Amino acid sequence: MEVSELKEKWTGWTFDEVQFEIEAEALSEFSLACGETVPRYTDPKDPNFQAAPSYTARFHGRRQLPEGFPVDLATSFDGGKSVEWKAPVRPGDRLVARSHIHDIFEKTGRSGGMMFIVHRMEFFNQDEQLVAVVDWKMIQKLK
Amino acid sequence: MILDLHSHSIVSDDGRAKVENYCQWIRRKELPLDGFVLTEHRLFDDQSDYRALEDEFGLLILKASEVETDYGHVLVFGVNEDLQATLDFSRVDLSLVQVMEETARCGAVAVPCHPGRVRVGMCAHIENRGSVENVRIVETLNGGSRRDENEAALALARGNDYYRTGGSDSHIVSHIGRCATRFRSDITSMDGLMAELIAGRCEAVALENEEWKSQN
Repeated sequence: MEVSELKEKWTGWTFDEVQFEIEAEALSEFSLACGETVPRYTDPKDPNFQAAPSYTARFHGRRQLPEGFPVDLATSFDGGKSVEWKAPVRPGDRLVARSHIHDIFEKTGRSGGMMFIVHRMEFFNQDEQLVAVVDWKMIQKLK
Repeated sequence: MILDLHSHSIVSDDGRAKVENYCQWIRRKELPLDGFVLTEHRLFDDQSDYRALEDEFGLLILKASEVETDYGHVLVFGVNEDLQATLDFSRVDLSLVQVMEETARCGAVAVPCHPGRVRVGMCAHIENRGSVENVRIVETLNGGSRRDENEAALALARGNDYYRTGGSDSHIVSHIGRCATRFRSDITSMDGLMAELIAGRCEAVALENEEWKSQN
């Protein structure tokens, strides 16, 4: 299937939704594990205590791709994640993460053709405020 | 005048540099660079306006594209609505022959880049499929290419009397200005840049020990 056809068929609709409860201890442990030293990210007693900006990148949904998505895992590899911080995540928040395929595109490099699948998770808090957008790229080598 | 003719910002899918940060880096490191051209992958960025940054940092910032063809990647300077209507920039299998013809017809300039690289450079494809008419200029110094790849590009240019350009192909801030193009005249616009390229009044240069060295 052409990349343009894949893009038209699979992008732009939510295929997964999961909830996460945010706990102070987990926020602090994550920050310390990242080498963070700023008290608002590490010390639950700090009056402005909140998740480190990249915290939401640790979460996974129930599915990596929509059911039936035609991916060849044997020729695929992780292309990394990027996180766009929108608003603070604090202890006691209940986050809802909704996943969709944001983009599918091709490019060519020294090793040949590659298809990029951009999986986007959008995190909303209990007030439906968008707090983070996490893009995860999966790269599939094309024949 | 020295311009880096090949750079990518966060507008490109794999770019990690903000344009403002390029400007800050050039000034903080006192790079002898007068400006740069943003050549975003497979698109033309007609949204961003960098005039305020040009004024703040005293740099020329121009916009172009890097498209993908059956002969490798090609920088396109002077992208306009006509050209965008003719070529689907998002495709990775554009015909180089068509890109050369259409850019000329629309008043733009096409420059095959990093021709010495395998698969995404022109040299390997010429070996297999023959040369392409209308190519006049190639990028012979690319900051992301290996030495042997730039040497192959130079050999290609010498063998065909192509004019030569240089660019860093930077995707991160600290790579801007590793290679560039020296012009004899001052350039203030894309039209001016294209005129100098078409006339061949340019040479590829690399920054070594804070000085520009011509590619020989």
